[in-house]
Amino acid sequence: MKRNHLYSKEEKLFQDKNKIYSAQSVKQIVYSTDARDFGQVATSIPCQEACPAKTNIPGYIRCIHEKRYGRAYELNRSANILPGVLGRICSRPCEFVCRHGEPDNGLSVAICHLKRTCADLKPVSHRIIEGLYAPTGKKVAVIGAGPAGLAAAHDLAVLGYRVVIFESMENPGGMLMYGIPEFRLPRDLILLEINNILRMGIQLETNTAVGSDISLDQLGKEYDAVVVATGCVSPRKLDIPGQELENVHHGLEFMKAVNEGLTPFVGDKVVVIGAGFTAVDCARSAVRLGAADVSINIRKTGEYMRIDDSEKHEAQFEGIKTYSLIQPSKIIGKNNKVTGIEFKRTGMEKIDTPPYRISVPIENSEFIVPTDSVIAALGQTPDVKKVSTRFSGLDKKGHQTGIPGIFAAGDFVTGSSDVISAIAGGRKCARVIDAYLIGEKRKQTVVRLENHVTTDRPRSHDFIDRVGMNTIDMKERLFKSTNEVETGYTDDQAHEESKRCYLCNLKYEIDPLACIYCSACIDVAPKDCIKMIADVPVNPDGTYGEYRETDDWNAVVSIAIDHANCIRCGQCLSVCPMDCISVTKTELIEIDT
Amino acid sequence: MMSFNDHYVIIGNGPAGNHAAKTLRKKDKGARITIISDEMIPYYYKPKLTGFIADEIAQKDLLVTSLESYKEKDIRVRLGQAVEQIDPDSKSLVLKHMETIKYSKLIIATGSRERLLPFMSGYADHLKFITSYTDVMDYKEKIQNAKEFFIFGGDLVGFKFLKMLNSMGKKVTILIYPNAFWPYNLTEDMLDQIFTSLSQFDVSIIIKDDISTIDKKDNGSYRIKTLKGVEKTVDMVFSFNGLVPDIDFVKGSGIDTDYGILVNEYLKTNIDGIYACGSCAQIYNPDMKSYSASIGWPNAVVQGEVAAYNLLGDHKVIESVGRKYFDLEGVKIKTTWWGDINDASQE
Repeated sequence: MKRNHLYSKEEKLFQDKNKIYSAQSVKQIVYSTDARDFGQVATSIPCQEACPAKTNIPGYIRCIHEKRYGRAYELNRSANILPGVLGRICSRPCEFVCRHGEPDNGLSVAICHLKRTCADLKPVSHRIIEGLYAPTGKKVAVIGAGPAGLAAAHDLAVLGYRVVIFESMENPGGMLMYGIPEFRLPRDLILLEINNILRMGIQLETNTAVGSDISLDQLGKEYDAVVVATGCVSPRKLDIPGQELENVHHGLEFMKAVNEGLTPFVGDKVVVIGAGFTAVDCARSAVRLGAADVSINIRKTGEYMRIDDSEKHEAQFEGIKTYSLIQPSKIIGKNNKVTGIEFKRTGMEKIDTPPYRISVPIENSEFIVPTDSVIAALGQTPDVKKVSTRFSGLDKKGHQTGIPGIFAAGDFVTGSSDVISAIAGGRKCARVIDAYLIGEKRKQTVVRLENHVTTDRPRSHDFIDRVGMNTIDMKERLFKSTNEVETGYTDDQAHEESKRCYLCNLKYEIDPLACIYCSACIDVAPKDCIKMIADVPVNPDGTYGEYRETDDWNAVVSIAIDHANCIRCGQCLSVCPMDCISVTKTELIEIDT
Repeated sequence: MMSFNDHYVIIGNGPAGNHAAKTLRKKDKGARITIISDEMIPYYYKPKLTGFIADEIAQKDLLVTSLESYKEKDIRVRLGQAVEQIDPDSKSLVLKHMETIKYSKLIIATGSRERLLPFMSGYADHLKFITSYTDVMDYKEKIQNAKEFFIFGGDLVGFKFLKMLNSMGKKVTILIYPNAFWPYNLTEDMLDQIFTSLSQFDVSIIIKDDISTIDKKDNGSYRIKTLKGVEKTVDMVFSFNGLVPDIDFVKGSGIDTDYGILVNEYLKTNIDGIYACGSCAQIYNPDMKSYSASIGWPNAVVQGEVAAYNLLGDHKVIESVGRKYFDLEGVKIKTTWWGDINDASQE
């Protein structure tokens, strides 16, 4: 029978004053605030660490594997309030760091597709879980019903505040509703998930622009606190001759028109400038508006495009070309209409400050491309003065503005970012406001440690190929421009893809007192993850540093598993003759202080 | 020049890589020189692969250089070993089998690989390509035994392959894509000209149509349907839609890449001591006001030599040599990228 080393560990943990213990912890669960545990979670679970909202990714993927889609949805929702939406349009920072995508390990797990699956396949009778607090009797106004505003409003409502959202547009959703095309994000889904937020008793006032219909000062007087979450809506301009010509569109305005059902003129040949999601959305929308020749034009090389591979693939699939290392220098027109655009070739150069690599125009490299329209999707900046002329500065970390009681969140604070960052920002802002109004911190994040006796997956799962997303064909895409291109995983596909997750939330540890240094675990490990170590340095913040390895047996203090390289194959566990390797499930959770 | 401590590593065993190695040895008698190739055959002549498939020539006739001649020049050649990663900071390469190789200077000459059209990626498992000796060895016997073929695309190698199949008495259907000779789009006139030229052969030609579905049947054959309703059942399906630089392993190393590896007129990358040449290198051409990657054997030879000279401290500027245009069934196509197809047709 396998020995349970968590008990002896608990005994050690009990001596640490930083630990918080529940009644369960005397059995197998520990709630820790030790910096070493937070450090271990951060280095061991790269997907969760990369997610701005700190979504419990291995946790929900495991639920999908068990076909508990409702639970998987709620695990998602506890970190981000729009799982179905994010499952379609998230920028996927998690997938860029997924250990399965590291060299020789294959492709990253399709985390985002699996997130979508939670929303697609959860039962109709699924129960939404909200941990409501008693009413505080205080009121908060949220300006902007985009992702940051909705997240802040939701969390404030949970914490017992009366919340009113003021939205300048006809519908809530912000960039989700007006910036992202319907073929990537169905509108009924946005409204469904927003309604789940509004069901918390949140009042939504649409067609009400703060700054013109109602003033920030007035809100400041009527409410105990105000959150400004109006996002980034002022387009960055090309600043080149000819930009005032007819048929030169700005990316966000173009998308807004398309999403309102209008058909802005694009012509046969369309030149899109920009390297982000909006540029690709504009190009793909232009294809649906009937353009025959659409190109995306970027200053740097393709690797600097701020989109993921699947988005690049879909654009290519739809016949959109990407031209790199060029920058526009002049838009040419006749009778006030665009007829062409002049570009210069660029080269890459190194600089000593971020972003370290820049593009610079090459002298005498101008050339002209005939085109019927130009779409400049260069991003947006916040329009601070439109909300109030009294803003003097923003504290980006603390969400404070220079005006007492007025807070800010999302892209309005950070500049143009992505939806998951905006949601994380909105949630954090709600906590700051809560502490400001209540005078104390009501929630804290801890590491939950639970003894786990199995690896939960066989080694053969490491060799499963990534399951591709199902999509509709070109004919259907063009038949109706709002037809959703990606159609989601089937139940079987989701189950298969879920097997690929290494479950990095399982921590494997060797008990140095029981280990006989036979090195059987080292021999079977497929990665260089089990190490003979001489020392484990501690970082200034209290977390563990990188193991100091040694091949001198006299200096070895322990054989240890390097969680940053371990792929949780469980081979070590199966060969250990001393049963001295334990498995602990680690999770970041929120508890009341 | 004698530098006994230097280790020059060349990734790629084609004309660029071999001429780089030869030049390095000529100018530096003492350095260690290693060529790394993921193929299992010494330096060979790729254009002859179709003749090899048809058994018109033997394997030895493909070879440009024997293993002995590498030994004579004191050049180590590592065959069947793929480079997975380059770490310029530690001047080392990681091979697929996890071995680390240190270099003092590096030349990348990996050439090109097949271009899989994005909208055909769902059928990748069904498609065959002829871009290397390894591909040919995988399919040679099957090609000889198969009776019916479907080719889509139709680049230079594709037309050569088609003619070879025709000479072997095979039944061939070809669906010509206007953009098969990537990155150019053939005009309708050009397509008509190619159609007329190929019509002299006993092949079914489809133009102005596209693939709808490719299904693999239980007996191993493939059922192809086109958008306009043409249906064919064939033994093998081949894709010939141009080539793309073979540079995936470079990504993430800090070496600037675009479609190819970005180099200056001296074929140097943005990292000191690392050069790229042949069809994997992308160069700004002031005359064309565009970036280009050369294709064709003569260009690769000269680029390999120039990269080697410059690696050793020279400052030779690369100039376009060899054929400027290929003849694609009567239509002239430039041998460099990103030019204007209309320029080519007017030559």
